[in-house]
Amino acid sequence: MVLRALSADLLKIRRKGVWFLVLLGSLGLVALQALNFGLRYDYLVRHQYKEDVWGGLISQIFDFVPIALVLGATLIASQIANVEHLNNSWKQLLALPISRTAVFTSKYLVGVIALTAACVLLFAGTIGLGLALGFSMEHIPYLKILKLSFLPFLGALPMLALQLYLSLTFKNQALPIMIGITAAIATMFSANYPDLLPLAWPFLAYNAKPAMPVAAGIILFIVIYLFGTGHFVRKDVD
Amino acid sequence: MSELVIQTRDLNKKYGGRYAVRHLNLEIARGEIYGFLGPNGAGKTTTIRMLLGLIRPTMGSIQMFGKDLKKDKLNILRKIGSLVEYPSNYGHLTAVQNLEAVRRILDVPKSRIDEVLSIVSLTKEAKRPVKGYSLGMKQRLGIATALLGNPELLILDEPTNGLDPEGIHEIRELIRSMPKQHGITVLVSSHLLSEVEQMAGTVGIIREGEMVFQDTISNLQQQASSGFRLVVSEPQEALLLVRGQGYAGQLENGGLKLEQLSDPEVALLVKRLVDNNHAIYRVEEKRQSLEDIFMQVIEQGGFQ
Repeated sequence: MVLRALSADLLKIRRKGVWFLVLLGSLGLVALQALNFGLRYDYLVRHQYKEDVWGGLISQIFDFVPIALVLGATLIASQIANVEHLNNSWKQLLALPISRTAVFTSKYLVGVIALTAACVLLFAGTIGLGLALGFSMEHIPYLKILKLSFLPFLGALPMLALQLYLSLTFKNQALPIMIGITAAIATMFSANYPDLLPLAWPFLAYNAKPAMPVAAGIILFIVIYLFGTGHFVRKDVD
Repeated sequence: MSELVIQTRDLNKKYGGRYAVRHLNLEIARGEIYGFLGPNGAGKTTTIRMLLGLIRPTMGSIQMFGKDLKKDKLNILRKIGSLVEYPSNYGHLTAVQNLEAVRRILDVPKSRIDEVLSIVSLTKEAKRPVKGYSLGMKQRLGIATALLGNPELLILDEPTNGLDPEGIHEIRELIRSMPKQHGITVLVSSHLLSEVEQMAGTVGIIREGEMVFQDTISNLQQQASSGFRLVVSEPQEALLLVRGQGYAGQLENGGLKLEQLSDPEVALLVKRLVDNNHAIYRVEEKRQSLEDIFMQVIEQGGFQ
């Protein structure tokens, strides 16, 4: 039943900018570093990172990964929910013979799929940019790039869950978007936050000890999803 | 009495301290077109939302197809097609994509899409984004969506709201054909009796959340309390005579307005008047229009 809802949802979000945001978020980060390394090639490659150019590229990209993830989660969640809000189609959708749990779960899956796609693109884009900058092909740190691309996403899962919950619950998207943008900006100071603050987890998930933020991220995602399902199943639909 | 498709018992919905629907007993038999009438804000949409499981009743039960909606919601919804108020199509998609999005959930064959498009005559426009449609076309697409799953029951909330006369006519003909051609039971709500009386066999009238009338449309027409109008040479004296016979009456526009009378009573009254040398110019029966009865029911909360 979830798969049927999912296949309908994937059709509905066509031309709603979700896939554009996926491309913009992932390849945008790569393009930013292409510019950075292109303009300061001598300094960055021959001086600052001459011991480990791949590591240098990765750490430069990572600076922007948490903010991109939270911002992406916010905008994508809002677009996913807006498909139903803007067309007043909740009533039509929920009067169909499909459980509300399946409808709600499907929306979460679309969010996870979209952000996962962005992570895959980031992984491929990072390698592509490194090679384009002439870094050695033998020394591609695949594992490190894999961690860069996916661990912060796992740490950002609670933000995705929260944004989906808010966007699906409130017809007016101003509140969820405001919260999301504020949170995205706040991730820039993640290094100063206590480890227990979920907002710091996208940052903490790519460091020496990723186990805690990654595990906590996944668990909190599930908790918010379950809470949201419980609410969604019960609520009156206008 | 044929099998009931919808039966609600003592249905209540309370918002805050106010009852939007109160003690509602709705009964709809298989194969009929049921007109659900009431002024705006009377509780029609609230009732329909409860029937579709979109909102939960505060109290009372809903039986559909002999099953309890609370326990068998998905099985019941599988047999229902619905259109609730204004259209809820996905504007950025074409008609075909809209139907496909719903079809993927209903899991019916792809050929159904072309079938329902031809039923509502949208085949030619099917490849255009829906946001460019007129309201009438959107409404027809909504009905096509409702028909997609081969429903046994069609629930249409104000399907002609905001349409021009031609659009209203099209939708009405479409609804009328449902029981005959497709064996579908139809519940259609409206705030206009004139619209419903041309298609419905049974009507339910709701006012401030309570059902004030539920019967066939022909019984409603019989309730049309007809009166008589007499135009005579000396109305004043004639009125005294009429009252002397024990009938209620009053002067109106130089004539006499009388209550509803049986044929023998009319004959006798006329004879008396002639015997007393009144010249009788006209004896007219006044039938109330259904619209008048409707207003009477709405204002008074039922027939006295």
